[in-house]
Amino acid sequence: MSPVRLSISTAFLFLIFAIQESVISRIHLPITGFSLYLAVLICLIALEDRNGAVVMGFIGGLVLDLAPTSQSPFGQWALIFTVIGYLISSNMESVGDFTSEPISFVIFIASGAALALSIYLGAGLMLGQNVGSFSRALVVIFGNFMWTLLFTPLFLPLIRRVREATLTSRERL
Amino acid sequence: MARGGSNRSRLLLVILLVSSLLLITLDLRGVGITAGSRNITQTVLSPIQKAASDIFAPVGRFMSDVKNFGKTKAEIADLKSANAALKKEAAFSADVKGQLAQLRNVLDLAGRGSYKTVSARVIGRGSASTFSQTLTLDAGTGSGIQKNMTVISENGLVGVIKDSTSNSSIVLLMSDPTFRIGVRVARSQSVGVLMGAGTGSYTVELLDPAGSLKVGDSLISIGSDNNRPFIPGLPVGAVTKVDHTTTSLTQRATVKSFANLNDLGVVSVIVQAPTSAPNKAINPTPRPTVTVFVTPTPNPTPNLTAPGSPLPTPSPSQIKVKK
Repeated sequence: MSPVRLSISTAFLFLIFAIQESVISRIHLPITGFSLYLAVLICLIALEDRNGAVVMGFIGGLVLDLAPTSQSPFGQWALIFTVIGYLISSNMESVGDFTSEPISFVIFIASGAALALSIYLGAGLMLGQNVGSFSRALVVIFGNFMWTLLFTPLFLPLIRRVREATLTSRERL
Repeated sequence: MARGGSNRSRLLLVILLVSSLLLITLDLRGVGITAGSRNITQTVLSPIQKAASDIFAPVGRFMSDVKNFGKTKAEIADLKSANAALKKEAAFSADVKGQLAQLRNVLDLAGRGSYKTVSARVIGRGSASTFSQTLTLDAGTGSGIQKNMTVISENGLVGVIKDSTSNSSIVLLMSDPTFRIGVRVARSQSVGVLMGAGTGSYTVELLDPAGSLKVGDSLISIGSDNNRPFIPGLPVGAVTKVDHTTTSLTQRATVKSFANLNDLGVVSVIVQAPTSAPNKAINPTPRPTVTVFVTPTPNPTPNLTAPGSPLPTPSPSQIKVKK
């Protein structure tokens, strides 16, 4: 992962983060809200190689840690997404690359977002945070999964194009 | 470790994991860098949120209308305002009745419109990627809003200011699982703690096991020292279900808040409570206790009074008063 692409990807993640905090979070969807940022980050991580996925996870997590509304310790999301980046990239090598199959990829992104929220919840509990009732947490995770499943096909092609535009000629090969 | 992982990948992973853990440790230890970075983000984001609020408010309202499909918007607004006025009136009436019944001079009626408030628009809601329930307001320290100030809507308590920058503030909603507030049952004057549950309903737990709770009881905020973070006397919610579990040491009930936290456009932050407010309502000034000691006479005379007749009254010299 070249430094230039890393910088562009970070700026892109900041843009998505601003959209998430300013626009998406204002829309009151039934069940619970939708996290565009989580979906985009999982998508970008899945499209990277091992090192790229881990670095992207760390930076993406750090950006999410900047959320002023967050009550979790700074660095918790970075830790979670570093682990998720590693898990995704290492398993991608054994399972095989499915990012070219749209339906599988969308399901994967939705599951990844739900997994990220679950790990966040678990980490929060371990750090002694009050995350509310278990049933409510399940509803939030399930709702986010459903909305990610529904909305991801709408922006997935755009994410792919943005990523391809940032690839160096060497990386394209 | 995964098969085929190179040493470089492992080293990178370890470095990033250690960095994350270091950041978490620094934050938990209260190092200002991490808190400052969130404040900077909020300062940068608030103008964008403000602009987005103006542009995308119709989208948000549209989604709200879709959710309430079949209802006339104007009718709902009228009913809501009428209902809010009635609820507020009922809460205060019950409160006054309860206090009169107990003949105690403990009242938290300071919230009858004599607060100094700053109104602010809601420009953002808590992110869906966390489990926290917050609002972002378009006014901050520049307007006099500071941390730990009470936030109210037309119907009652909304939450408390969690953080504020020069031009924006973050409100921790009362529905957040970490939210706690001391409340008083208006009818019985029992005291308890109301807890957010991450949903539209709340749990109240009475401190006194013998306290009384009934469906429909109004809950009023108790207030905090120096009115931070809570002002006394605010309508908080009404009891919808009482938990009659006999194994529990304290009485619990489910509460519905008076304020609809999903439909907040403008809220008010109480920047100054009236100086005459009786904010120590549940801790009245102790009055001197009169204790009467009766010293028996050295030579008791045989009691010749008939059963049922009044006892002989002790003379004034036999009575000692202790204050």
